[in-house]
Amino acid sequence: MIDAGARVPIRLVVNGRARELAVATHALLLDVLRDDLDLKGAKRSCDSQVCGACTVLVDGLAVSACTYLAVEADGCAVLTVEGLAEGDTLHPIQRAFVDAGAVQCGFCTAGMLLTARALLDEHAAPTREQVLHYLRGSLCRCTGYRKIVEAIVAAGGGDR
Amino acid sequence: MLRPFALHRPGTAEEACGLLARLGDDAVPYAGGTELLLLMKLGLLRPRHLIDVKRVAGFDAITDGARLTLGAAVTHRAVERSPLVGRHCALLAAVARHVANVRVRNVGTVGGNLAFADPHSDLATLFLTLDATVELVSGRGRRELPLTDFVRGAWETARAPDELLASVRLTPWPSGTAATYVKFGVHERPTLGVALALCRAAAGARVGEARLAIGCVDARPARVPAAEARLTGVAVAELEDVAGAVAEAAAAAVDPADDLHGSADYKRAMVAVFVRRALRIAAARARGDVAPAARFPHAVVA
Amino acid sequence: MSARPLRVVGRPLARIDAIEKVTGRARYVTDLVLPGMAHARVLRSPYAHARLARVETGRARALPGVVAVLAGADLTWCDPYFGPAFRDRPILAIDVARHEGEPVAAVAAVDEATAAAALELIDVDYEPLAAALTLEDALAPGAPLVHTREPLAGHFADLSSLRPRPGTNVCHQFHFARGDAATALASADLVVGDTFRFPAVQHYAMEPHAAVAAWDETGGLTVWASTQNPYSVRVELAKMFDVPLARIRIVVPHLGGGFGSKTYAKLEPLAAALAHAAGRPVRLAASAAEAFQTVRRCSARVTMRVGFGGDGTLAAVHCDAQYDVGAYADIGPRVVQKATYTATGPYRVPHVDLGGAAVYTNTTPGGAFRGFGVPQLAWALESLFDVAADRLGRDPIDLRRHNLLGHGEAFAPGDTPIDGKFEESLGRAAEAIGWTLAGAADRGRGLATMLKASIGPSVSEAIVRLHADGSVSVLASAVEMGQGTRTVLAQIAAEVLAVALARVVVVTPDTAITPYDQTTSSSRSTTMTGRAVQAAAEDVREQLLRVGSEALGLPASDLALEDGAIVTATRRLAYPEVLARRFGMAGGELIGRGVVAPGRSAAPLGGSTPFWEMAVGAAEVSVDEETGAVSVERYVSVADVGRAVNPLLLEGQDEGGVVQGLGHTLFEEMAYADGHLLNGTLLLYRVPRADDVPALECRFVENADGAGPFGAKGAGEGSLVPVSPAVANALARLTGVRLRDLPLTPERVWRALRARERRAPGAI
Repeated sequence: MIDAGARVPIRLVVNGRARELAVATHALLLDVLRDDLDLKGAKRSCDSQVCGACTVLVDGLAVSACTYLAVEADGCAVLTVEGLAEGDTLHPIQRAFVDAGAVQCGFCTAGMLLTARALLDEHAAPTREQVLHYLRGSLCRCTGYRKIVEAIVAAGGGDR
Repeated sequence: MLRPFALHRPGTAEEACGLLARLGDDAVPYAGGTELLLLMKLGLLRPRHLIDVKRVAGFDAITDGARLTLGAAVTHRAVERSPLVGRHCALLAAVARHVANVRVRNVGTVGGNLAFADPHSDLATLFLTLDATVELVSGRGRRELPLTDFVRGAWETARAPDELLASVRLTPWPSGTAATYVKFGVHERPTLGVALALCRAAAGARVGEARLAIGCVDARPARVPAAEARLTGVAVAELEDVAGAVAEAAAAAVDPADDLHGSADYKRAMVAVFVRRALRIAAARARGDVAPAARFPHAVVA
Repeated sequence: MSARPLRVVGRPLARIDAIEKVTGRARYVTDLVLPGMAHARVLRSPYAHARLARVETGRARALPGVVAVLAGADLTWCDPYFGPAFRDRPILAIDVARHEGEPVAAVAAVDEATAAAALELIDVDYEPLAAALTLEDALAPGAPLVHTREPLAGHFADLSSLRPRPGTNVCHQFHFARGDAATALASADLVVGDTFRFPAVQHYAMEPHAAVAAWDETGGLTVWASTQNPYSVRVELAKMFDVPLARIRIVVPHLGGGFGSKTYAKLEPLAAALAHAAGRPVRLAASAAEAFQTVRRCSARVTMRVGFGGDGTLAAVHCDAQYDVGAYADIGPRVVQKATYTATGPYRVPHVDLGGAAVYTNTTPGGAFRGFGVPQLAWALESLFDVAADRLGRDPIDLRRHNLLGHGEAFAPGDTPIDGKFEESLGRAAEAIGWTLAGAADRGRGLATMLKASIGPSVSEAIVRLHADGSVSVLASAVEMGQGTRTVLAQIAAEVLAVALARVVVVTPDTAITPYDQTTSSSRSTTMTGRAVQAAAEDVREQLLRVGSEALGLPASDLALEDGAIVTATRRLAYPEVLARRFGMAGGELIGRGVVAPGRSAAPLGGSTPFWEMAVGAAEVSVDEETGAVSVERYVSVADVGRAVNPLLLEGQDEGGVVQGLGHTLFEEMAYADGHLLNGTLLLYRVPRADDVPALECRFVENADGAGPFGAKGAGEGSLVPVSPAVANALARLTGVRLRDLPLTPERVWRALRARERRAPGAI
């Protein structure tokens, strides 16, 4: 048992880097990433798992970091938007978003990119249907989605 | 932002139940947290203890045998991808694929869904057509309840405070069953869900037994015996002829309230519409039609 | 100006902030961390209307970790009221709370958990009062009054003639008339009329409002704010806290969406007040749920009567529009005024009688939202146009074409003449939707137009600095909220100075550094701020050419700028060399200044519109008659933009505008019960998702006929406005049912279809 208010040591690999942290049981992964690890890319928007702005990948699975206890990430690999690029080389999905004009205000972008990354890891050349299925939980208020879908399909090398 | 709580991680059901019994009202079981943590963020629930059941032996297991058993901590994603589920009840895998969104599916669990008893649960609605029973364990022993007795009302179950939902057991339909699940709605949670299974003696020409469950429009999902009776013994080729009567019986059986999902009479009318549509889809499947089912705006057809 | 083809302007270049956004490095207000920063939380009224009998904050103050607690009664050291039209909104409720969610008290503490715990220690005794919750409630005789104080006028010239109706909830009335509409309607061959309703909707910018405020040792105030108009916020804070403008600094990093929700002061005054009380920086971030309680679109009830001659010529329009501006006026009065002025759309109408009223209710304050009152009126006018076409036996597009204002024609005396060839947009939209082609039996097509004036008068100033190495800084206060204005401004500077886009840096809006810009709204940034940047860059060019002319012994007219250098047929003088000559040493910079300030005019609203925003939308829809669910299968938007400075960004803007328009057309509506908002979260407030998007085409008419740089005009609101009438017109053509209330939810459509069946089974 871990006492209320006690700090739990957790070890996780964040964007390929091993990290050791002490977090409260009630700490949310989103706040630990943003405040303790200074990874500000994931955003808090709806705070209720609907919009996807806080999406990060935990062991390859997309989760709503706003509603996910940090302690659950113990022993896991966490991928945030900051971990997509390799040095100065953008990940193909990031490049696709830039080229397609799929970024406007940028607040949904991190979540969209990681959701796309999870999709591409599962289906290397997703159909539009598959993209729309994954984007059911990823909201954008600026772009109207068309260029986002285009970018993800393009990143998969497809035009389906 | 959450208020502080103590976190317990029992490794066995006995341990978990012991904690529940000892801590009483101050404790809640916790698996995926997709509903629980939201209520805690809103301050509607302020438990001082969370009992994490994800490490309890057997809770993440899917097993078959006489029945298909889903452990309480099995995620929607696991149901979607399980070869056992695929083999015994492909429709369940398809329904799991459309619960909420991909992030909720990755983390949310079957047990959490049933124990929360949201009236809009796809799984609960479908499970009613699969003779579902839930297994409840406590320091006092173990009991098994039909799902229809477990879910008492909106967010209300028969689970005693010291009990833990350990698993749900399903009886897969006989082979030759044609089934479908259709949900309809504009909002995050569906306005209505229809689960329909037409069971028959292997590829026989008549429906042996029909199971129809309607979810979302009432405080809890329910079977509709009056509608089911109209399907018993009907020839597959003549299902269209009884569609109207079946739909009417289903609409008459629900008692919806006006809310943001729709007014009562709209919901009732939609029950009729989607029962008719579900019947058409199931009938096509019974006939061996391999064409993809019809699509309707704001509806998901599994 | 040479006829050299444009190199940078007009190209679909990737936005200059794309990389930082896709790598998670872009910074928004809630990403900022200041040393010693405290965190604030707000206690909000649970009642729509209540007297605050007692607000007890003692226990909260005593909680360890709390650094400031404020209630309305504590605000004696400042002027606690703000608002651009009326200064009617207190930082914290004083004596009375006027809407559910109004801030009543606030706490700043060392962390959010402590602040939240402190809120629970504040005791408030509310005495509920009768509330005016709908337009009908608020306008009824003897209605409860939302405001009883004498209103103070805010800070805008065009609203210096605010006309409240004393003793009522009407805080402003606007009337615009021409000719004799009453007689013209009485004698018209055809009059169509009806009452239309437009719902309260929320912007749902992905980033909720946020501000970080800090006072410094000189008594100056800095606020990092998610605001679309830093200069408006600055002038409010200056007045409220009695600080000179020069001592207030508003800094705007990236905005996670605005759409009008972040115009004019919202959270900044409270953040500043808390920081003052705490003696340290304070961060105040709203949740998405709190954004629903902060601002929304003004809902409206619009009664319009439109008279036509037998040949389809528009004779008269009578409009009576009531806008629900919620508990505080915000910019509601201007919304009403500007929109009512253009209630007649892009058409020629000899007789008009247009009235609009801004009405207080005890609900979330209504303010600016993309379209600024025009969607509400276009919903009515464009629906009635199709009704008239049906009655006249005319094709709806034909009927519109017949009445379109022509290029150069007057809209109203004193105002800018029509600056576009509107029939081109109409024609292209008709063609793109396949208007004259046979359609599928289960599909219907509909079309709608819109016209909107941009804000006038207004002021935009800019500075361009050419550095010793030939790189360029653009200083302008247009805010980047996703629309791409920073990229557009960079393109303009790069074009004028003939440098690569990568050599241009657009400095973050900061009122201590970037000069005055009235507002990032009204589709004005490319035209107005853009012109200021263009003028500033041209100023630098003049200076370069003067030095170059002297150095090369040639008249300036013989010189050109190319690739960061002054060039002739035979010589090339790179900018660093030019500067070295100018200053006689390495170092120094050329500074250019641009000011765009057209000033007041004789136009009816006090200032001429810098450009007219005109667009057309065409929809093809199908309907599931058994459920009433409408699917928009295809949609075409055509906007008359003069010149698309960046076609890729512009297309993205308009795609977004169309989809946002689908929101209020099909799904979005804030639902209240007894003053309590039932759906202030995404669980029950339905915004468009990726799978709602139709096959979508956004096109532009570019005749270089705008007042902006290179013939550009504004855009970004035009794509949203026609969506609802285009869809409703398509639905009417397909099913024969005409709906007047938005959104067109499945249930509403279903009811209308069944009513049709009951009236005339089998007939259309």
